Amino acid sequence: MSKTFDRFAGIAFLLIGLLFVIESQRISESSYGSAVGPDIFPIGLGSLLILLSARLVYETMRYDVSGEKGESINYRKFIIIFVSAVVYAALLEPLGYVITTFAFLLVAFQTMERGKWLQSIVVATLFSVGVYYLFATFLGGSLPGFPVF
Amino acid sequence: MSALNFLFDGFLVAFQWHNILFAFVGVLIGTAVGVLPGIGPMSGVALLIPVTATLTGGLPPESAAASSIILLAGVYYGAMYGGSTTSILLNTPGESSSVVTTLDGYQMAQQGRAGAALSIAAIGSFVAGIISLIGLVLLAKPLSNVALEFGPAEYFSLMLLGLAAVSGLAGKSMTKALMMTVFGLMLGTIGIDAVSGIARFTYDLPILYSGLEFLTIAVGLFALGEVFKTILEREHEDGAIAKISRILPTRQDMKDSTAPILRGSFLGFFIGVLPGAGATLASFFSYIAEKKFSKFPEKFGTGAIAGVAGPESANNAASGGAMIPLLTLGIPGSGTTAILMGALIMYNVQPGPLLFNDHPEVAWGLIASMFIGNLMLLVLNMPLVKVFAKIIQTPKRYLLPIIVAISFFGVYAVQYTTFDLYLLLACGVLGYLLTRNDFPVAPLVLALVLGPMIENNMRRALTISNGDFSIFVTKPLSLALLLIAAAWLLVPLLLKFKGRAIVVNEED
Repeated sequence: MSKTFDRFAGIAFLLIGLLFVIESQRISESSYGSAVGPDIFPIGLGSLLILLSARLVYETMRYDVSGEKGESINYRKFIIIFVSAVVYAALLEPLGYVITTFAFLLVAFQTMERGKWLQSIVVATLFSVGVYYLFATFLGGSLPGFPVF
Repeated sequence: MSALNFLFDGFLVAFQWHNILFAFVGVLIGTAVGVLPGIGPMSGVALLIPVTATLTGGLPPESAAASSIILLAGVYYGAMYGGSTTSILLNTPGESSSVVTTLDGYQMAQQGRAGAALSIAAIGSFVAGIISLIGLVLLAKPLSNVALEFGPAEYFSLMLLGLAAVSGLAGKSMTKALMMTVFGLMLGTIGIDAVSGIARFTYDLPILYSGLEFLTIAVGLFALGEVFKTILEREHEDGAIAKISRILPTRQDMKDSTAPILRGSFLGFFIGVLPGAGATLASFFSYIAEKKFSKFPEKFGTGAIAGVAGPESANNAASGGAMIPLLTLGIPGSGTTAILMGALIMYNVQPGPLLFNDHPEVAWGLIASMFIGNLMLLVLNMPLVKVFAKIIQTPKRYLLPIIVAISFFGVYAVQYTTFDLYLLLACGVLGYLLTRNDFPVAPLVLALVLGPMIENNMRRALTISNGDFSIFVTKPLSLALLLIAAAWLLVPLLLKFKGRAIVVNEED
């Protein structure tokens, strides 16, 4: 439990709620004038979220700070894997499933733990080729296969 | 008796060879999911939805829905069983409902009785599964008949009750749980409004017209969230795995565990039926009960077999019991049943009172397949316990990246958009941050599933009453449901003010 996070989250959700209420007003203009239009539900929800977030921010004023623990967090591994996942998503369509999956897995395996290249390559190949052929060929699903040059 | 006839028809569905195969694959994967550290039943089921969607692609819609739900439910109760394996062998619960199993299970393993503990867990799970299924068969039809009398106002109130129940018990802070619920409902309003056809919060982005995809959000929040957590917070190194020598329990073990298994099954079933009170609570209560009933309460915590048999039966019975509100009322009582409900809706099958009339093949096929699946679990797990214990040793360096790859495949194979992959990653980060800070994500997913239905029923009720909100309190049934919902939220708060300790329900 982190006080800073809770306070930040409380304010963020409060803003989201506010945004929802304001944006819902725009919906009502385009509505056809019935008593229960498409705007009532979002307005109600937005207001509720504002109230709850305010309550959370208020609660954070009264926390004990003593419970906060400083754990060692492994940012480096996470950032490498996360960024390669974003690249994986971006390249999936242009480069096809097999190549991108293989590359992503290899990078991720090596990030998790260096070494054992042969084993990593074998597992990555088996997974990417296996899933593709099982799904696209055997089950008749469609996945972007290989890039068309 | 008509229920028996329906059940017979259900068995005809369940005994089709491909459905036997689906149930088999489901319980097998489910057991693996329960055993593997890092994926619980929720992420396991969420990950498999797209896979089953493609597996059943060639079948007619009705059979496809039946087959996939058979597989997914198998994963659910399979995981409930598998979670005990790591509790007993490693002192690390595979999912939250197996936490109490570690107390005596691991002690038994230390004394060389790991095999007996594992097989008692299997037998208890089996008995509990069958008992809760009998309850399901008996209660399903009458309950859905009652629910058929419901109008939109009653439905609205009933769903509010479902939400209140899940948020009231989830997590450490009710404010946070309620915030997650409201946020989930808000996410559900994105897209074209079903009643008026007006686009809401889409900002002219065509990709948003159909709304945020439930599957993407669930896989992101649960599966990726857990993967990110494991990568970021290098979890303590795995300890040594206890050896399994003798698998079958002794006659004395059987004698000692018969009563706990039966008590655990009934207790778990009734707790499971209550929305919001999941398997974790069931196993916890069963442990306390066994300690109370026992002639030697001091033995608990030092390897008492009743401390394994009771809770393990209770958590399986609870997962069976949780199917009742899902199937008959359309109210998922836990995170995993919310995901199952989302899967059914993907197939255009609406869980609820009409399910038994409109889709008997799905409803009764599922129930019948659970009989078969539970039997398979027993037959599979007794001899294969050693094989499943091996799964624990799957290296994390391969497991985690492969889970990411499976969730990418799953989401892309169903949605065919890169947008959903980005959304998936964003939800993964969000899921990690939220759960780490005690914002429970199960209410969010539940709200996302129920949101559109709640809104439609609210607006239909208000249309009937010409915009008069008092319709929700003037109808007696609706009022009663609302009062129960309010009590569900207020009673724990009142108890807290009085300084009583409250049992907190972890997500399952």
